[in-house]
Amino acid sequence: MENLDAARLQMAFTLIFHIVFACIGMVMPFFMVVSHYKWLKTKDQLYLTLTKAWQKGVAIFFVTGAVSGTALSFELGLLWPEFMKHAGPIIGMPFSLEGAAFFVEAIALGFYLYGWNKLPEKFHWFTGVIIGLSGVASGILVVAANGWMNSPSGFDYIDGQFLNIDPLKAMLNPAWFTQALHMTLAAFTATGFAVAGIHAYQVFKGRRVQLHTKAFKIAITFGAIAAILQPISGDISAKDIAERQPVKLAAMEAHYNTEKGAPLYIGGIVNAETQEVKYKLAIPGMLSFLAFGDFDAEVQGLNDFPEDERPNVPIVHYAFQTMVGIGGILMLAGLLYFISLKKKKWLTKNKYWLFFVILAPLGFIALEAGWIVTEVGRQPWIIHKIMRTKDAVTPMPGIVFSFYTYVVVYITLSIAVTWLMMRQIKVLNAKND
Amino acid sequence: MLYVVLFFLIFSLYLYVVLGGADYGAGIVELFSSEENQKITKKTIYRVMGPVWEANHIWIIILIVILWIAFPVYYNILVVNLHIPLTIILLGVTLRGVAFVFRHYDAVIDNSQKLYDAMFKISSLITPIFLGMVFGGLISGEIKLIEDVSTLTFYEAFVRPWCNVFSILVGLFFAALCAFLSSVLLIGESEPGKENIYIRKATIATLVVFIMGLITFVYGYANASTFVNGFIKDPYAIVAMLISGLLLIPLWITIKKGRRVLSRLFAGLQVFLILLAAFISHFPNIIITNTHSVSLLDDIAPDSVINVLGVSLIIGGAVILPGLFHLLKSFKMIKILEQNKNPSL
Repeated sequence: MENLDAARLQMAFTLIFHIVFACIGMVMPFFMVVSHYKWLKTKDQLYLTLTKAWQKGVAIFFVTGAVSGTALSFELGLLWPEFMKHAGPIIGMPFSLEGAAFFVEAIALGFYLYGWNKLPEKFHWFTGVIIGLSGVASGILVVAANGWMNSPSGFDYIDGQFLNIDPLKAMLNPAWFTQALHMTLAAFTATGFAVAGIHAYQVFKGRRVQLHTKAFKIAITFGAIAAILQPISGDISAKDIAERQPVKLAAMEAHYNTEKGAPLYIGGIVNAETQEVKYKLAIPGMLSFLAFGDFDAEVQGLNDFPEDERPNVPIVHYAFQTMVGIGGILMLAGLLYFISLKKKKWLTKNKYWLFFVILAPLGFIALEAGWIVTEVGRQPWIIHKIMRTKDAVTPMPGIVFSFYTYVVVYITLSIAVTWLMMRQIKVLNAKND
Repeated sequence: MLYVVLFFLIFSLYLYVVLGGADYGAGIVELFSSEENQKITKKTIYRVMGPVWEANHIWIIILIVILWIAFPVYYNILVVNLHIPLTIILLGVTLRGVAFVFRHYDAVIDNSQKLYDAMFKISSLITPIFLGMVFGGLISGEIKLIEDVSTLTFYEAFVRPWCNVFSILVGLFFAALCAFLSSVLLIGESEPGKENIYIRKATIATLVVFIMGLITFVYGYANASTFVNGFIKDPYAIVAMLISGLLLIPLWITIKKGRRVLSRLFAGLQVFLILLAAFISHFPNIIITNTHSVSLLDDIAPDSVINVLGVSLIIGGAVILPGLFHLLKSFKMIKILEQNKNPSL
C-alpha cells in the first residue's frame, strides 16, 4: 500500500470512529439533563434511575471521544506535517478555542459525575447543562476548522507562501456556518435515533417498559426535531457548495456534462470510465433548482474540470445518495413520532417499537456518509485549490503498520464499549426500584 | 503577546508534567504494589483522580495546539522525527483512559476487572517512559534535519532520534518522577493507617529519580552530550537543581507532620525547578540535533496569529483556571467533610 493511501485510510478510519464517540458524547448529556430535570420536578424515581444510567453512558463516551480526539489532534501533525506546518497557525484559533471548550466540558463533567448529593441540587443540574453546551461548542469549532479546508480564507497565497494571516477570518470562513449547522443537526438526529432505538428494543422485548418508554421519548424528541429541520440545512449546504465547490456538487450528483436545466439523479450505478449513470431516476431540471433556485440554471459538469482535480465520483455519489435517502426516511419517522403522540394506541403495538429499532443505526450511517461526501469530495485537495493531499503527507514510510495498529485497537475498543453498554442495560433491567 | 504564549506553553507543559505525571504515577505505584495494597490503591486512585483525571490530560492537547499554532516549524520536527514514540504515547493514552473508565464504570464486577487493571497499570508505566523518551529525543543530538529524509535509512531518520541510550534514560527518569509525584499525593489521600505504603513508595521513587538522574548525567557527560555540557556550565541550572535536591528536607518534614498540602507544594516546586533547570540552560534552543540547535523562536507564526492566540489563551485561562481550581478544591473539601461525618472511613 502506498504511504499516502495508508495515511488517508488511517485518518478516515480514526475519524469514522471518533465521530460516533464524539456525537454521542456531545448529545447524550442533553438527554441526561432533561431526565434529571424531570426527576427534580416530578420526583419520579424512574427518572433518577434513567439519569444515572445515562450518566454512565456519557462518562464512557466522553472518555472514548476524548482519547480518540487526543489521538486525532496528534494525527493531524503526524500524518500531514506539511499541512499543519502551513495551516496550523491559520486555523489554530478554532482549535485553541475547542481546547478551552473541551476543558470546560471535562471540568463540568467532574462536577456532575461526582457531585450527586454533594453539590446544591440546581448547581449540580446546571453543570450537566454546561457539559452539553460546551460539547456542542467543541463540535462547531472543529467543524469550522474543517470548513476552512473546503473554503480556505483569512490569508493571501503568494508564491507558495501564506501571507497576511487573519485567524478570525479563517475561522469564520464561508463554509463554517453551513457545515456546523448541518453537522450539529446530524449529531442530534443520529444520537437521538440510536439511543431511542436501543430503548425501543427494550420495550419491544418487554423489559421495564415504563422506564424505557420514558427514555425513548426523551431521545426521540431530540432526534425527530433535528431530523425534521435537517432538510432545510441540507438545502442551504447544497446551494453553498454549488457556488464554492462546483466540482464536489457535480461528483455528488455524478453530473458529467455541463448543462442548463440539469436533472437530479436519484440512485443509479456510476460507470466512471464511460461516464454513464445506469438505473437512475432522473427528475428534469431539479438539480438546477436545488443548486441555484432556478429550473433552467446552468450546472457545471465534471468534464469542465481538469481530470487531476476531480474526486472519486462513484464513492461521493453513493455516499451522497445514502445520506439523502436516510435523511428522508428519518424525517418521515420524526413526523410519525409526533403523530403517535396523538394516537396513544400505537405505543401498545410491537410493530411501532420494532420500526424504531430498525431505524437505530441509520442516523449514524447517514452521518458517516455525509462526511465521506465532504472529505472524499474535497480530494485531491487538502486545502481547496491550494495544497494537494499528496504533498502534505509525512515523509516517514511504513504508515501502513500504524494504520493496521489503529484498526486493531479501535475495533477492539468498539467491541468493548458495545459490550460494556450491553452490560449496563442488563444491570439496569435487573434492578427493580 | 509572544510572552503570553510562551507563558502558557511552559505553564501547560509544567501542569501536564505535574498533574498528568501524578496521574500516570498512580498507575505505576499500583503496578509496583503487593496484591493487597493494589486494591487499596485502586480505591484511593478512583477517589482522588476520578473527578480530575480527564482535566489533567487536556494540558497536553493545549500544549500541542499552542505548538502547532505558534511554533509550526518546531512542531513539524517533532511530528516527523518522533512519529513513532508519539504514536505509542497516543495508544498508551487511549488504552489507559479506557481502562480507567472501564474498571470504574463497568456495571458488572467480574474477572474482566483483572484485564482492565493490567491495561491501566502497564499503560501507566509505558506512556510516561515514551513521553520522557520524546523529551530526551529532542535534546539527545540524534535528530537529523535534512531536506530529503529518503537519503537516510529508516533507522537513522525515524528510530535513532528517540531510541538511544540517552533518551531511554530520560524516559526512565521521567517515569520515576511521575511515581514520586504520585506517591507524595497519595500519602495525603490514603485511608488512615495506610500512609506508610505511600511513604515507602515515595522513598523508593525519590531514590530512583536521583539514581536515574545521575546515570543520565554521567552517561551524557561521558558521551559529550551538548545538552549535559551546556547544563553543567550554566550556574543557574546547577543552583536550581541543588535547591530542588535540598527541598527534599522540608518535603520529608512536612510529610512526617502530615501537612499534606504543603508537602505537595514542595514536590511540585521540586519538579518545577528540575524543568526550569533544563529550560534555562538551553532556552530557546530546545531541539538539539546532530549538527546544531534549533531555537523554539525560529520561524514562529506571524504576529497576527500570535496576538489572537495570546488573547484566546488569556480568555480561555480566565474561564478554565477558576473552574479547575474550584473542582480540585471542592472535592477535597467534600472529602474532609465526609471523613468528619464518618470517622470510621
